[in-house]
Amino acid sequence: MIRFILRRLLSTVLVLLVVTFVLYLLLNVALDFFWDLRSSTSPNIEALYESRRRLLDLDTPAVVRYFKWLAGVGGCAIGQCDFGIAWKSGQEVTDQLQGAIVNTIKLITASTIVAIIFGIAVGMISAIRQYSGFDYFITFVSFLLYSLPVFWVAVLLKQYGAIDINNFINDPTLDSWWPIIIGCVAMGLFWMGALGGSARRRIITFAAAALITFGTVYYILASGWMQQPTIGLLGVVVIGAGAAVVMTFLSTGLKNRRVLYASLTTVVIGALLYWPLMNLFYYVGMNWLWMFGLLIVAIAIAIAVGLAFRGPDPWDTARTTSFTAIIVAVLIFADRVLQGWQDYSNDPAINNRPIATIGASAPNIDGDFWITNLDSFTHLLLPSIALVLISFASYTRYTRGSMLEVMGQDYIRTARAKGLNERTVIMRHALRNALLPLASIIPVDIITMIGGAVITETIFGWNGMGKLFIDSMRQAELDPVMAYILITGLLAIIANLVADFLYAVLDPRIRVNA
Amino acid sequence: MTENTADAQSKKGSPILEVKDLGVQFWVSDEWWMAAEHLDYTVNAGEVLAIVGESGSGKSQSSMSLLGLLPSNGRATGSAKLGGRELIGMPPEKIQHVRGNEISVIFQEPMTALNPVYTAGYQIVETLRVHLDIGPSEAKERALELMRLVEIPDPEDRFHSFPHQLSGGQRQRIMIAQALACQPKLLIADEPTTALDVTVQAEILKLMRELKSKLDAGIILITHDMGVVADMADRIIVMRAGQVVESGTAEEIFYQPQHPYTKQLLDAVPHLGAGTENEAFGGSIGDVKASLSDISSDQASHVSDPVGLQDNGAGGDGLSEAGAADMAVAEARAQANEPDHREIEMDSTETYYHPGSQADFSKPSALQLRDAAIEYPAIGRKKAFRAAHHINLMIAPGEVVGLVGESGSGKTTIGRAALGLLPTVEGDMVVNGTSIKGLSNKQMRPLRKEVGIVFQDPGSSLNPRLPVGESIGEPLYLHEGMKGPGLSKRVEELLTAVELPTSMRNRYPHELSGGQRQRIGIARALTLRPKLLIADEPTSALDVSVQAKVLDLFEGLQKEYGFACMFISHDLAVVERIAERIAVMRHGYLVEIGKSSQVVSNPVHPYTQRLLSAVPVPDPREQRKRREARDAVLEATMNA
Amino acid sequence: MSTNNDNQNALALDEVGDNAIESKETEGLSQGRIVLRKFLRHKGAMISIIVLVLVAIFAFSAQGIGGLPGWWKFSHTASGQVANPGGAPTWSLSSIFSLGDHPFGQDEIGRDNFARVMKGTQISIMVMFIIGAVCLVIGTIVGAVAGYYRGWVDSILMRITDGFIILPVIVVGSILGVLVGGSSGPMLGLALGCILWVGLARLVRGDFMSLREREFVDSARVAGASDFRIMFKHMLPNAMGVIIVNTTLIMSQAIVLEASLSYLGFGIQPPGISLGQLISEYQTSFATRPWLFWWPGLFIIIIALCVNFIGDGLRDAFDPRMKTIPSWRKMKKAERMAQKGAN
Repeated sequence: MIRFILRRLLSTVLVLLVVTFVLYLLLNVALDFFWDLRSSTSPNIEALYESRRRLLDLDTPAVVRYFKWLAGVGGCAIGQCDFGIAWKSGQEVTDQLQGAIVNTIKLITASTIVAIIFGIAVGMISAIRQYSGFDYFITFVSFLLYSLPVFWVAVLLKQYGAIDINNFINDPTLDSWWPIIIGCVAMGLFWMGALGGSARRRIITFAAAALITFGTVYYILASGWMQQPTIGLLGVVVIGAGAAVVMTFLSTGLKNRRVLYASLTTVVIGALLYWPLMNLFYYVGMNWLWMFGLLIVAIAIAIAVGLAFRGPDPWDTARTTSFTAIIVAVLIFADRVLQGWQDYSNDPAINNRPIATIGASAPNIDGDFWITNLDSFTHLLLPSIALVLISFASYTRYTRGSMLEVMGQDYIRTARAKGLNERTVIMRHALRNALLPLASIIPVDIITMIGGAVITETIFGWNGMGKLFIDSMRQAELDPVMAYILITGLLAIIANLVADFLYAVLDPRIRVNA
Repeated sequence: MTENTADAQSKKGSPILEVKDLGVQFWVSDEWWMAAEHLDYTVNAGEVLAIVGESGSGKSQSSMSLLGLLPSNGRATGSAKLGGRELIGMPPEKIQHVRGNEISVIFQEPMTALNPVYTAGYQIVETLRVHLDIGPSEAKERALELMRLVEIPDPEDRFHSFPHQLSGGQRQRIMIAQALACQPKLLIADEPTTALDVTVQAEILKLMRELKSKLDAGIILITHDMGVVADMADRIIVMRAGQVVESGTAEEIFYQPQHPYTKQLLDAVPHLGAGTENEAFGGSIGDVKASLSDISSDQASHVSDPVGLQDNGAGGDGLSEAGAADMAVAEARAQANEPDHREIEMDSTETYYHPGSQADFSKPSALQLRDAAIEYPAIGRKKAFRAAHHINLMIAPGEVVGLVGESGSGKTTIGRAALGLLPTVEGDMVVNGTSIKGLSNKQMRPLRKEVGIVFQDPGSSLNPRLPVGESIGEPLYLHEGMKGPGLSKRVEELLTAVELPTSMRNRYPHELSGGQRQRIGIARALTLRPKLLIADEPTSALDVSVQAKVLDLFEGLQKEYGFACMFISHDLAVVERIAERIAVMRHGYLVEIGKSSQVVSNPVHPYTQRLLSAVPVPDPREQRKRREARDAVLEATMNA
Repeated sequence: MSTNNDNQNALALDEVGDNAIESKETEGLSQGRIVLRKFLRHKGAMISIIVLVLVAIFAFSAQGIGGLPGWWKFSHTASGQVANPGGAPTWSLSSIFSLGDHPFGQDEIGRDNFARVMKGTQISIMVMFIIGAVCLVIGTIVGAVAGYYRGWVDSILMRITDGFIILPVIVVGSILGVLVGGSSGPMLGLALGCILWVGLARLVRGDFMSLREREFVDSARVAGASDFRIMFKHMLPNAMGVIIVNTTLIMSQAIVLEASLSYLGFGIQPPGISLGQLISEYQTSFATRPWLFWWPGLFIIIIALCVNFIGDGLRDAFDPRMKTIPSWRKMKKAERMAQKGAN
């Protein structure tokens, strides 16, 4: 296995070198290094041309210059990176890269995780309800999403997702009830289609979903939640309990009372820890390391709860309680972040327009850990939505196809013939196998996502790698473009390796053979 | 529920399942298509009911309908009562508790029927824990017990093995263990041995018989193999096109069949030993014991064979090497009290030549393999694989030689090498007098005129995008440049020769039945009147009755055209019928060759003996005798 | 992509056996006609094909091709009097439906938006088809050769495709776009075709590799067919499904790619015109003149959506496992009828 991965790594790195070489030569032909001088009427134009030529070392053949560049990059191995300079601004490329890489990874990681979770869930349901109205609807939506140009969506998001919402936050008056009614009916239909069942069950699902949606929307509007969003202890308990029930249903089925009670206990413990945590957050300055440590503690507690409930399969219980604990932890975290909403929104730099359209963070915001995070989230929101929309569709389609393939296999029939219920057949036997081919889709999708980020970053002014690439292309700056190619290439290679590794972990046939 | 527990203690012979007027339909093209109808039968405890039929008879679907396992476009009608409870139309929440608990299923394809990502042990434990309220450690204990019951070696090890790490036979044993987990009242075995090699099939059949007497479950055995039926069944239902044509006890069906279809079906089954005056090997236990120990003196002429068996002087060494098998053989020898004889070890790779079958390369021949070795060439990083070693074989002009072996024995490899599709890397391969070793595809082309091939799967060997007439005519077009009406005439002649209407030439392969496709395959192979024909399992994808017709046709054509033929098959009974000589292959080596009658009634190599004794014959009385012999041989040659 | 139902269906049909039902379905039809029949039954694909053809006819006839004049009264280049304030669309529903002079509105210098969108649609469709054709030819040939001969030919192809897939198409596309420069649709199409064929080649290679193991290929070789004949007479028709379906899907990708590149300024640039370029040109005026933004975007989506649906229909039609979809409702209805009959 390790030999296989090393060989793959070596061959892709070689391929990457060839790619950079070829693109270096192409860029050399394509980019016009004198574009700003073309229309110049300066008297010493010749001298300007000459100095530019010297600055960019254009008299040296391109092939030689490539190897010079490569030598500079190779310096990274001994801690002296030299990616060259962006000649227009005179900045070192290494300086430009630092923030950009982090920003892009932040954006892509957030979007990928969201897209994978939703894509797999929806694709799975779509496959189970094959040829139902729900399935057709999801198929249509995913084709629509495939067909949407990102830049077009991004512009719309800016208008309706940011400007209009911000306006609404400042002046929450509702023109008409229709959007809400339509929304409630749509949610009802969605859940009705997704959960299916007999006619009676469908009607119940529809009514419940529509009413819950209406209640939520009404509460949000009537309580002025939009002005001061918060979850609160009550929210943590209610949502946490819901999550406990769903998690139990998915992992062992609600018939297993032991697991259900264990998960609910986890929620109760989370609620009991709410105030102590708030005090901790108040008196001690927080950072991500703290957050990570607390999450570990939460999971440890959850596992302890799971094991304490004993029963024949303590680890199944512990697994369910851990997932519940993660959700509760995230809820408490989100609650604490939202507590800073008022301060954040009133900050002069924000000026009560909290949904950001430009940049990765607001300038001149200084606040503690919570405020900076809130700032970061409001900026991540729109570009992430744009990116999620593109790759959500492909995950849905792949999961659906893969799931249908698996559902037709003999071992699914065997699982049914054993007397397993449908939930176990799907969650334990089908899903696990259906996810295998998905491991090979993820790196491809991440590369697509990096491509999508080029456009999204440009539109949302997100200072990431993609924007760097486009800006440099427009300025005919060779070195930053090459740096972009090298680094995204490396990211892609890493994504591929991770996928190979995942595949090997998930599939015993590969794990054992290699 | 109390009445169920009472049922569980049902006595032998009391009815478990009562099926009345059961029907299965499928929704296809906006209509209900009948897959089975008017089924009436009862399964009693401790009894094997065999449902026999060819493909499309609805035998499998009707049984799946008992458990509600029909595809989503299928539905079941009528009634099936398990201990008084109606199964048809039972809601999913309820039938869930019947599946795997009271009725369990053994599926055909053990490779695909087990989930590849979970261990064998886990899958058994899962079944146990769904239905029984037991903890993981207890379930593991029970699973190991079950694995011991189905005779899996090193159950503690195998418990943690994934399906792909097990052999086909072991996978099927896991499947059986899983099916027996909750001591079901009824076991449905859906072609349980069809995907297995004949010797493995014999082991599984032996196991199932033993289990049948140990447990008190009723068994529904679904199969198309009359040999398996003769071995296992107490009562038989014969189905055809969704209808029951005849039912009765095994004796009635086999010895007094009433319905013409049953008669036809029984007639169509090739019967091992039908071609020899002597009985086929394995006919009785005494016979086997003698053979295990003895090769009679009149057959000992192989000492002088040119490439024959070398004296394996060190009998004592063999004992330590081959362990149990040789022990058993030694024991048998002692019983037979014939101290002076020679033995062949199971793992011997030498070829045993029956008298008159030594390869004499000076005579004219259609095919010669001289100490040939054949390899699958290396692709990328995959190493070359040698699939046949040191093969000495000769086929005289006009002679039919059967090549027999189990999967992975290298029999197909030899066939493909004779066509130049695989390289001969050592020795020599001479086809119709010309050596083809090392020839390129281009150099091969003129030689191809004289060799034809019939493939196993007629569905795959015809180009689905070409009308069959074009497929048949292609060799003529390529070698003789024939076109237009001349070509049409020849194609029509060939179609007539294989007894198909000439109008079929414009059809596409998917429009023909399996038997028709195989006839087209034969017509195509014979287009250029080859001197040598390679027939690679030409009938194994066909139903028995179709197989019989195709074999008749083949024999007729062989007489008419007079080609030499290498007939590759795993089915000894078929080969015995068609071939003059039989060559037996094992693990890439040719282990025995001789006249059909010699090999069938007096096999010498232990592997051949094992193979022959494993074949079930479609005759319950005879099979009863053979069974004892089979079990003895299986035990004696266990390590194979 | 296979489906639960289809697989089970296939099983069921095989059981029902001697392919009686299939033969009833497909009697006397060649594979090609079966595919066509299945395709014609795919409603989404049929509607899409009609819409796409209408859009293409409309776009090409409105603005004319080459020297041929179109029927629309304004040209996409000529500026004119701004009719409505701000150049808003002139169509109205006030009395009866009337289009007015500038149904899609005008830009700030009075150019007719309808004319520009039609011209942009023309160019975008053209680029899409050029990309499709280039990919079809290169992808099929390279994939077929690699899959058939394997060995070093295949290794080289795989390395090349590795090189293409480690970078997003939009990045390589931008570089090529700058390289071929500016305003010519066909050149851009050729350049983009040179990067998009990779995926198709991989799929064709895979298909050829599995076809190579099929017995009919051996059977053709035994019959004395040359490599060329085996590849193109025997294997290619069997790989047609993969090729056609994936070329279609590449085309749907291509139109969005072209639009994105033109939007970024690395594809078609003024005075050249394409749908992406139009959005790029007018994006800042979204708040003031939204029609300049909506119409070109709408046409991109319509075209891409249609091509996607056609691809989906083709995939279903070519998939041998895909039997006619059993209509669940009809089935239940028939079941009820049968029960009524029985009672």
